[in-house]
Amino acid sequence: MSYTPSYPIVVTGLGAVSPLGWGLGALWDGLRSGRAAIGPFDRFDHSGHRTHVAAQVDTAAEIERPHGKRRRLSLADRFAVAAAREAVAHAAIDVPPGGDRTGVYFGTSTGGMFETEVYLESLFAAMAGRGKPPTTRLIASQQNNGPGDAVARDLGIGGPVQTVSAACASGAMAIGDAFRAVRRGEVDVAIAGGADSLCRLTYAGFNALRAVDERACRPFRGERAGLSLGEGAAVLVLEPLDRALARGAQPVAIVAGEAATCDAHHMTAPHPEGMGAAEAIRGALADARLDPSEIDFVNAHGTGTPLNDAAECAALVAVFGDRVSGLPVTSTKSLVGHLLGTAGALEAVATILCLQKGEVHPMPDDGTPDPAIRLRLVLGRPQPLARARHALSTNLAFGGANAALVFTRHGDQDRAH
Amino acid sequence: MRTETVITGLGTIGSCGHGRGALLAALADGKPVATEVNRGAGLHREDGARLAALAPDRDVSRWVPPAVARRMSLPSKLVVASARMALEEAGLGAASAGIARTGIYLATAYGTSSSTEALLRQILLEGAEAAQPFHFSECVANAPAAQLAISVGARGPNVTLMQRESGPLLAVARGAEAVREGGVDRALAGSVEELTPLLHALLDRFGALARAEGGRAEMPRPFDRRRNGFLAGEGATLLVLEREDAARARGARPLARVRWGGAAFDPTASVSDWGDGHAGLAAALRAGLDLVPGGPAGIAAVVSGASGSRRGDRLEGRVLRAAWGDVPLPPILVPKAIVGEYGGGILTSGLLALEGARFGPISGFSEPDPEIGVAPHGGGALETPARVLLTGLASGGAAGWLVLEQAS
Repeated sequence: MSYTPSYPIVVTGLGAVSPLGWGLGALWDGLRSGRAAIGPFDRFDHSGHRTHVAAQVDTAAEIERPHGKRRRLSLADRFAVAAAREAVAHAAIDVPPGGDRTGVYFGTSTGGMFETEVYLESLFAAMAGRGKPPTTRLIASQQNNGPGDAVARDLGIGGPVQTVSAACASGAMAIGDAFRAVRRGEVDVAIAGGADSLCRLTYAGFNALRAVDERACRPFRGERAGLSLGEGAAVLVLEPLDRALARGAQPVAIVAGEAATCDAHHMTAPHPEGMGAAEAIRGALADARLDPSEIDFVNAHGTGTPLNDAAECAALVAVFGDRVSGLPVTSTKSLVGHLLGTAGALEAVATILCLQKGEVHPMPDDGTPDPAIRLRLVLGRPQPLARARHALSTNLAFGGANAALVFTRHGDQDRAH
Repeated sequence: MRTETVITGLGTIGSCGHGRGALLAALADGKPVATEVNRGAGLHREDGARLAALAPDRDVSRWVPPAVARRMSLPSKLVVASARMALEEAGLGAASAGIARTGIYLATAYGTSSSTEALLRQILLEGAEAAQPFHFSECVANAPAAQLAISVGARGPNVTLMQRESGPLLAVARGAEAVREGGVDRALAGSVEELTPLLHALLDRFGALARAEGGRAEMPRPFDRRRNGFLAGEGATLLVLEREDAARARGARPLARVRWGGAAFDPTASVSDWGDGHAGLAAALRAGLDLVPGGPAGIAAVVSGASGSRRGDRLEGRVLRAAWGDVPLPPILVPKAIVGEYGGGILTSGLLALEGARFGPISGFSEPDPEIGVAPHGGGALETPARVLLTGLASGGAAGWLVLEQAS
């Protein structure tokens, strides 16, 4: 039966797999601690690189080890399925088998690239006379639709399934798509998020661009020297508020607004004045019918690269004006690294947890804030913000794609729509 | 009043060459436009596939200046060239006004294969520090969409969708919705695929490709009992989408109206194949068709995504039969038998069908499959259809559909 949605659209479930651990509890404890999960890693041989740190998920702690058909899933798929199961359980929602009123909206940057690399390394060796060609089972789920499809298959979903791959904005754009799909009434429930795993392609690629810090990344600090790569998955369950309340669910936040833009400027560098990012933020605020003065804190893209942080600061100044120096800003990447296509989804979860808990998670207090960056950084310890109502999460991507999401604490929706 | 989205421009580059002219002749001929793939690297199976629908004419200098093109991978060049072709047909070739509020919605299954492969070869065979920045920036899946945005100054949403065979239809539906909702003034929507010898070899190793067997030539045979795989293809197709009232106000000639776009998922599918869940997909398709004038009976032709795959074609036939129920199925066109498996062929063929293109008998079809109960159009004259359904069932479970109709 078709469901006619009404505003607002709420989040009723969250799930996460991150370098801080499996599950929301590990994520929040780690975020709150302000201690980065970025350091030595062993997913692959990185001895030939100039940098040797990343934020790796502890797969030994995986709740359900792959068996049977799950052995064909990539690491990113497994992260996605675990996060989705947690989010669906958190939402206490029943997905009817084959139910066509539930959709999956996922983002990823590289999907099963790690497994593709393992396969190709063996294939190239076989072609050179060293060993037999590997089994194609290794790359069965190598494509970017893998994580979203794996979630839909695992939950038995029969509605729309869509994977966005817009580099570092993928996860946020997927949530935006899910939000609009629920708002339009295309689906009653949307499972939205992203998943990515560490792989040699991105590690070597960002190193080739000299965009990886030799230490854990230091967003917005004067000494910042690049990003740190991470991996994981994050999932949100979205549905109309009245539907959630009718089934007795407890909403955790409201998705108040979203917008996406493109710099149309450069393949790897953001617009120096953050023009596209500012447009995305303004668009999301307009969608949420909020004035910039009503935003209580920002979870910034904050990669730690010199260009990104400067451009993002310029965008925030353009939107928030002088108020920006008093607006608390944090960067989840400073603790879990850059999850690329999953970053927007994990940062959305982190933002919602901050709203829910009434405090903004800190960044490690490591380094001196860049004097050219006029932001009030949350450093070292959580900043209490018990009365925070509205928060902004931003993502700026390769190719100039930008996405902004605005979340509102549940119970404060009267001003959201 | 509901604002409709229309298509006002088409640009395409594929195995038939540049533009729609060569494709028209190929569709009438009904034979695959395929060439030998370079198997020199020794990656292919000895008895595996040898053919692919490769884009032979890669000179896009008419559309992309060489000084700009040298900074692009092949998919990026094909996308920018196809988009400029489409903008020219839409009467927007030289205009820059209004392009800023343009969104880009591009589908690809494999992304920029040559850049990814080149980078991986450097990393795996030459050492980590051999990685070239150019290959990295072009290997991200959204590189072609980003290059297009930079090329035409499109500052709306820049969306790359990756949903295998259903992606192109989802991308057009997504772009049409964005135009309809007013989020953008225009959308450039479509699909791109690049086929490298390595990707061809991997698809062959999966057993996905048509191959010579039992004395029969290597050929895609959609819906045929003896089908054994698809013909891999490459190319790009871009459409200009805009509001119908705005298009007519500026004197543009709409090529078609986007009437409906839908999507669903078959959770019985495996990671790399099609499933058996035709009932759920058919119900979703039928629900969508009931929204268009005349319901299923109002669809004058199906431009099917059937490609010659064993399970994919069987699922497609069962979905169509179940969705139509007691209503007789309209003629079913199978352009992937000619241009291979790349989503742009479906989009172009859908538009050409609405323009009255002739679809000849498919040379690979001769024995109907009783398991499917559906056969491709036999090549006889078709009345110019008023409304066509485009289908895209993806391995892995996703499904996308699009209904296009005459806008004149």
